[in-house]
This record gives sequence, structure tokens and C-alpha cells, in this order.
Amino acid sequence: MKTIFTRKNANAPRQDSTQSDLSGETRQSSATSAKPELALELFDVHRSFGKTHALRGINLTVESGQKLALLGPNGAGKTTLVRAICGRLRIDQGEINLFGQPVTQASTLAQLGVVPQDLAIYSDLTTKENLRAFGRLHGLSGRTLTERVAWALEWIGLEDRKDHLTKSFSGGMKRRVNIACGVLHRPKVLVLDEPTVGVDPQSRHRIFEMLDELSANGTTIVLTTHHLDEAQSRCDRIVIIDDGQVIADGGILDLIEHTIGCERQVRLRIEGFLTASIPNLEWDPTLELFVAEINEPAEELPQLLHRIRTCGGNVIDLEMHQPNLHDVFIYLTGRELRE
Amino acid sequence: MIRTIIHISLLRLWHNKAELLLTFIVPILFFSIFAWIFGSRGSSGSTPKLKVVACDEIDNHVTQRTLTLLHNTKSLRFHMGDSSHSDLVKPISRESAEALVRRGMVTAAIVFRKKSGGESDSEQSRELDAHILNNSDSGDLQSPAIEVFADSFDQVASQVIVAFVQKASMAAQAEHAQEEAVKLQAARQAASLQVQGAQSVAIPGINDPTVRAIALSSQPTLGLEMGNMTTIAVPTIEVIDILGTNKSNPIVAMYAAGIAVMFLLFSATTASGAILEERENSTLERLLCSRMTMDHLLMGKWCYLVIIGCLQTTLMFSAGAIFFGLNLLGHLDGFAVMTVVTSGAAASFALMMAAMCKTRTQLGWVSTILILSMSALGGSMVPRYLMSESIQRVGQFTFNAWALDGYNKIFWRELPVRELTLELGVLVTCAFVFMVLARIFATRWDRG
Repeated sequence: MKTIFTRKNANAPRQDSTQSDLSGETRQSSATSAKPELALELFDVHRSFGKTHALRGINLTVESGQKLALLGPNGAGKTTLVRAICGRLRIDQGEINLFGQPVTQASTLAQLGVVPQDLAIYSDLTTKENLRAFGRLHGLSGRTLTERVAWALEWIGLEDRKDHLTKSFSGGMKRRVNIACGVLHRPKVLVLDEPTVGVDPQSRHRIFEMLDELSANGTTIVLTTHHLDEAQSRCDRIVIIDDGQVIADGGILDLIEHTIGCERQVRLRIEGFLTASIPNLEWDPTLELFVAEINEPAEELPQLLHRIRTCGGNVIDLEMHQPNLHDVFIYLTGRELRE
Repeated sequence: MIRTIIHISLLRLWHNKAELLLTFIVPILFFSIFAWIFGSRGSSGSTPKLKVVACDEIDNHVTQRTLTLLHNTKSLRFHMGDSSHSDLVKPISRESAEALVRRGMVTAAIVFRKKSGGESDSEQSRELDAHILNNSDSGDLQSPAIEVFADSFDQVASQVIVAFVQKASMAAQAEHAQEEAVKLQAARQAASLQVQGAQSVAIPGINDPTVRAIALSSQPTLGLEMGNMTTIAVPTIEVIDILGTNKSNPIVAMYAAGIAVMFLLFSATTASGAILEERENSTLERLLCSRMTMDHLLMGKWCYLVIIGCLQTTLMFSAGAIFFGLNLLGHLDGFAVMTVVTSGAAASFALMMAAMCKTRTQLGWVSTILILSMSALGGSMVPRYLMSESIQRVGQFTFNAWALDGYNKIFWRELPVRELTLELGVLVTCAFVFMVLARIFATRWDRG
């Protein structure tokens, strides 16, 4: 697996000393020894809408069984990329392959499952009717269809609501039906566009459990999301795209290490007047707190607190902040509002 | 608070251009369309002419003169011989005249009926002359002299035609009587000379053997004849409803098709809007990510709309048969063919509309305006014979007109299926063209 970092906002505050190494350049690291099967390959994918370049040379490979989170700010090109992967968008340049075959081939598409961001189900059909309808559209019939529908009902936990019209369901239930309709035909690759948008934490948790189950059975999962914490905790690989390009690609630890660094940030509210400056302790006017960055909390934190006391300060509150995907995301894409 | 609500509502109206259009422009548009359709009847140039055909079995001076006068009537258009008088009197059989009425080629047929029995033409001719000259309403004739084969589909036309025939017949009689009077006067003078002892000589200007005979041998009766000639007989005209007589409820047969076709279009366009809903909530995207292609999708929707259309129309005509005595069972073959083809064309039209429009709301508005306009022009709302000739011509470009003509041929004119070739041909062509257009418009939903 290769890791790519391209920082988009060179003026954004940098939290570690390696900023100059990362800004505006690409860094690659490590590769696995065994070569796993590639489920999805994108080579130099370009797509423009008029003068707008939605995709500008996307290169991406997804290994079979991997769970990949595709992140990016609004308008970055995520949905365009998803549509291109699903064969629903003609690309101007480049190549998209699914298990080595062009994604536009009908036989290739049969290996692909798609879950759109919208609730793409028939609200005036029951759960079972929806599942049967989409199962048939994916070529299932007879006993296979019946078995898969029964499996799906159990998988989404809606067996008792199988004969209810989906329009009477909560957002989370509809989302689950929406996902189930995309996996009935046992796709090898499942592409989900924001599968957890607008649902409560419990439903999100359930949906990710469902995806974990699919992943455990070997399904390759590519999902877009704005829930960075879940992307971080649930996916083995993060790809951040912005302005139609991949700007970061790797595991969460790689991303943190090569962007903002692994140092934890200690945020302190101090009472009293510090008689001398303390190394590594700075006033953050935005947070209105003192902040210090430490690598080894167990060793460095007691030392820091001792120095503050020595200098006449009294720590009345302390917060330890561990670098996460959110920090990486903001670091790479900046704080500017997008359209 | 109330002011705020009004303000918000006005702002929302201003930003919603479709609603704005509906509120202020569409009513004017509709008014203009209907005013154009029905208001133009007032202009004399576009008043519809009644198509008639004449069958002159008697073929004497009076009937020929009557036909000439009818031919000169601006409101009538003769199906045959409308260019010259000689053509007018070209013989057409009673059966042919009836067939023309039955097929809807003419509104009515005017038949100068030959009296039944073994009388010779000349005897009958003289008898009709005598009938006209002697003012005998039924008198010595056993059956009416003039018959009008009417198509009660146009319930006003037959009455108008009867009035025209009556007027023309009386005028012809008057002219004939006048001519006869002149001749008899001459004969009287000649006879008077004979009585006075003059030699029997040829009477100049009197060639008619009858008149000459009267002049030469029946002088005492002249006064009586002259007296009779001054009276013009009102002809007896029998109106025979060729198409509506045997129908238990002819009006239902006439209007069922109009309403059925209009609602077929409405229901089809409403149902076709599902494709726009599917596009809006990404279901279409998901469908097209499966094994389904756009061709499958459109054909599937088309078949569904055809099935629903057939069921809807069948239910409507069945209700007409059960509750209003419409003879559906007697015309099942024609009904089945017309219903399938009409539903197919309506389904194609609906899919074309859906593929053209961007949203379901837009589809609702555009289709409503279009269907109501087509229904008005095509005769679904009011019979087309009530419209001016120019509007009737425009109506030929509507879907409704052809469908209605087909249904009318089956239920009203009771024609066999082979007579529907034109209507079926037009509707099948419409179905094909609309479907091709739908597919072309739907390419925007294909792979982008």
C-alpha cells in the first residue's frame, strides 16, 4: 500500500516541524510484500463539466477485501468519482477497472453493488417488495432470490417489518433497506455514497456493523462520508480528495504521522501569573488556552505540570487532545468554506 | 404577523416561477386557446360547411332545380358534383348515399325518393309534379317524396339541412309554377284563337305535349289549373337517422370515447412522472447500475402504461355498457384493437413528456396544458363538428382527434375493423415517433 500526501493549503497552521517536507509534494512510503488481488484500479482519471475540472488525474487502487473511506470537502469530486466507478459517468481520460476489466462492461458491473446517497428505494413498497424488486434487477430469481431476501431482512434487522411500507420507517431503517438493496446479489465491490447521512449514532453504529460483516466476508467496500471519526475507526484506509485530485492516501496512523505528527496536544487553563516562560508551552489565542505538544504523556506531562507550578501558575483544567483524522483533514484541505 | 405571512407568501411566489406562471399566465393561455377554438365560429369565413350528397331517383325539372338551389347554398358542400350542375345530377344510388353517411363521409344524404311500385319514371315524375303542384302534403302519394338520411352524431346538422331542402324545394316549385303559368297563358291564348274559328296551327313557344294538349283540348279547365298553380306545396321531408336509430343510447357512444381518451392521456402522463421521481431520488441511478438499460426501463414503463390504459378504458366502456346501454359486446374486436393502439400511443406520448421535463411539477403543468388543449381541439370536450373548419383542420394534428374518429367508427358508425386502417396507422405512427423522441430525450439520463 502506498501513502500519498499533498497538502492543499500551504498557509494553514502547521503543527509539526516536518511541514516543509510535505507542503506541495508527494511522499510515498512502504509497500507490502505479497501482492493482493486488486479489486479496483483507477488510472489518471479525468472528467470535466464545461470549464469545471471535476476529476484531475485520479490514481487509485483498492485491494480486494479492503475497506476504504473516500473523504473530501463538498465539491471535491467524491460523488463524481463514485459515479465514474459505478460506470454511470463517462470519463474524459484514463481508465477504471474492476478486477482487471473495464467497469463499463455489463459482466463487470454485476460484481459491483451501489448504494446511493439518496434513499433510492420505493417508499410505496414494503421492505420485502423492495428487496425482491432490486434482487430481480440484479438477476436473482426463484429460490436464490427468496434466500437472499430472507438473509437481507435478517441482516438489516427488519424481519418483523418486512411487510410494512418503507415510507413509514425512520431514517435509519430506510438507510438499512437502502444498503440491503445494493448487496442482494453478493457484489465483490460495494460502493456507498454517504451511507450514514442523516441518521442517529445508534443507526450509524448498526450500519457500520453491517458493513463490517460484509467486509469480513471478503467484500471490498468503498464509502464516502463526512463522519471522520467513523471513517477513522471503521476503515482500514483513508483517501482524501480535493479539487479533483487525491491529496492523501493511507492508513490513519500514516496520515497523522506524515501530516500533523503524532504529538498529543495538551490544553491547559492556568490561574495566576507565570513568572518565566516555559519551553513548549504557548498561548493559543483561538482556544484562549495554553497549549503544549508532547510525545510521551506519561513522562512529559508531570514535568510540564511541575514547571507551571514552579513558575507560579495553577492548572485548573487540563485536556489531552490526540491527533485524529479531523485534524489531518483540516490540515490538508484548509478551513475555507467550500461551495 | 399577518403582514409577515403575506410578505413571505409573496416572496415565495416570486421565487417559484412555475407557480407564478400557473397563477397569472396559464389562465390567460387557456382562455386564449378556448376563445380561439370556439370564438372563431362567429366569423363567417370559417363557419363549417355541411357535407351532403344527393340521390335523385325522380330526376325531373323540380328536383333538378332544387338540387341547383341547394348547390348554391353557401353552407352546404356536396360530396359529389360540387363543381358543376351537370355533376350534381349525376346519379348516385340510394345505397351509395346511405353508405357515405354511414362512413361519415357526409353529414346527410338528400334523397328524392322514387315511389315504390311498378310505375314508370314518367308516371312518377308526373305524379311528383302533380304532388308539388297540387299542394298535397301526403295527399295522393303513398310515401314521402324527400328523405334525408341523417347522421345524428351531429344533431343540429340534420335540422339545418331539412330547412335548406324545404326552402330550395319550395323555391324550385315556385320557379316551375311560374314557368308553367307562362306556358299555360300562351296555351290559353292559342286555344282562344282556336275557339274563335282560326285554323289549327302550331302554337309558337309551346313544345310541351302536355301543355299543348291542355291548350288544344281542355280549355274549360284552364282557369282551375291556373288557380292551383298559384299554391306552392310544402314538401314532406322524412328524416331517417341512419346511425342512431338502433342504438339504445347513442349519446353515450359518442362521448365515451372523448372522455376515455382524455383521461387516458392524463393518467398515462401522471404515471410516467414516476421516472422523474426515480431520477430525483437516485433510484434511476441505482436501476441503471443494475443489469437494466435505459431501453429496458422505457419499454417496461411503456408496457405498464399500455396495460393500465387498456384496463382503464375497458373499465370505462364496461361501465358505459352496464349503466348506459353501450353496445360493447357487439364491437369487441374493434374496441380491443383501438384500445390497445390508443393506449400504446398515449403511453408513448406520456413517456416523451416525462423524458422532456426536468421535474415532476414541470411535467404536471406542461402535460395538463397540452392535454387540455389537445382535448379541446381534438373533440374530447365538445364535438369537432361544432368547431370552425380551420379549427377542425388544426384538430387533425391532435392525438385525440384520430383516437376519437376510430372509436366513433366502431361504436357510432358500426364499421368493421378494416375501416380503421387510417386511424390505426396514424396512432401507431404516433406511438413510434413519440417513443423514439422519448428515447432521445432520455439519453441525458444515460451514462453521463
